Amino acid sequence: MSDRDEVRRYPLAEALPPEKLEAEAEELDRLGHASPCSKLLGYLKLGGPGFLGAATTLGAGTLTAAMLSGAAFGYKTLWMIWLSMGLGMFMMAASARFTCRGGFRVIIEQNRYHGLIVGSLMTGLIGTAAVAVIFNFGQYSIGTHLIESLAPMLGFEFPRQVNWIFFMAVTSYLTLSYGRGKRGIAIVETFMKLAIGIMLVCFGICLALVGVDWRALVHGAFVPWLPSGVEGVDLFVASSAAAIGVIDWVLFQYAGLARGWGRKHETLARVDIVFGLFLPFVLINFIVMAVFAGTLHKVGITPETAPELAASLAPLLGPTWSAVLFYIAFLAVPISTTVGLGIAGAIAIHEALGWTPDTRSWRWKICALLPQIGFLAVWYSRPVWLVIAIAAFLSLATNIVGWSFYLLLNDRRLLGEDRCKSYLWNLGIMLQITLLNCVAIVYVLNRIGWWIR
Amino acid sequence: MIDLDRRYGIWSGRVWGLIANLLANALALYGLVGFLRDGTHVVPLVLGVLVTAACILLLAKPNR
Repeated sequence: MSDRDEVRRYPLAEALPPEKLEAEAEELDRLGHASPCSKLLGYLKLGGPGFLGAATTLGAGTLTAAMLSGAAFGYKTLWMIWLSMGLGMFMMAASARFTCRGGFRVIIEQNRYHGLIVGSLMTGLIGTAAVAVIFNFGQYSIGTHLIESLAPMLGFEFPRQVNWIFFMAVTSYLTLSYGRGKRGIAIVETFMKLAIGIMLVCFGICLALVGVDWRALVHGAFVPWLPSGVEGVDLFVASSAAAIGVIDWVLFQYAGLARGWGRKHETLARVDIVFGLFLPFVLINFIVMAVFAGTLHKVGITPETAPELAASLAPLLGPTWSAVLFYIAFLAVPISTTVGLGIAGAIAIHEALGWTPDTRSWRWKICALLPQIGFLAVWYSRPVWLVIAIAAFLSLATNIVGWSFYLLLNDRRLLGEDRCKSYLWNLGIMLQITLLNCVAIVYVLNRIGWWIR
Repeated sequence: MIDLDRRYGIWSGRVWGLIANLLANALALYGLVGFLRDGTHVVPLVLGVLVTAACILLLAKPNR
């Protein structure tokens, strides 16, 4: 069986025409000998799972955290963004190795080597599927708020008790498009690239209007600073570990398999991780934090929720059109994240339960649309008991899943000569695992009352 | 020298190393809590940090 056939064992890749995959492999061979500039442009064109990951991980929670940090601390915590995302890159590279060189489905191999609890339960059902459902309440909450606030600026009313239908229709269409052959995957990945482009351009224009204190920005980006005492430890641990998690590792691994990626694609996968995931994530967070550092931080306003933050910012941006741009950019965040969460959830549930993924089946559609239950956030906040249960399990499970990925990457039985042979790569993974351990430990210390409040 | 990929009891050296790292992380954070609260617990803090560093550097060694 050839390398290509090995990779195409993942059912979602079977809809890809073989001639297109061969053409892509030839294009990669050609890019291997092209100039650095042509190579980069070519890889950006062929990339996709990285952008899908960026659009998914750049959710309402991440952006709200960036806004709050900008409003509360100005530019001072910018350095944590690239550091936390940078550490996450090592684990993403492990996902790329599993896809391109291993050609296997990671949850199935976790089940085989580390047991069902680590694979199906911790990685699939809790780390990915449950997270997709719970996090989507936040996307609906902010998305519908933003549409409600944006509509009057465009001359009409669109209350959130009604506009959730629009939000659901758009995100459901895009979510269900994924996996419908090469065209369906291309539609979703192009939308994700477009959403990231909208965020970069619109937030960028807002920043240009607000102005940048370049000296403070450079200082904040490269000189570590934390609030004193336990608040600083909390902020560092939470920010370092929250940038990338199980859902991102799983989504990237399976999105690569669904694209039919094989051995020749590993360089493309790594470029996609850096230029599709790392750079957009860092740039957008930098811009948003800088916008709030240049506005709310200056006047000393620190609202606590995303809608309040956006509403407080709007008058400080000047003309109405600039506030419209901000709202449009912000709206791209929950829409793209909802799509990514739906896809990740469907993949994970199928893998965890051993179901064959068939995007035409009702089973796939129901799983993909499961996070849409978040529309209830229009009337109710997230079910607290469920959030507490998931947060507890996730805090205690993410590091174990990280251990599992590290062990698989170093397993000669699984990857043979393609196992990790780089000290630096393992070192990066171990640093991230240690941070994830700290999240779990801080959670336990908090619960037993030993953490300082 | 410890062979990380050999089995020692029920698990390989890497798994035992990961467990040791977790315990060292917990010790360091326990020490940090005390140190931030009233300047005590320096010994567990230093010990936890040193063992954590040792575990990270050791476990980064790839399977040759």
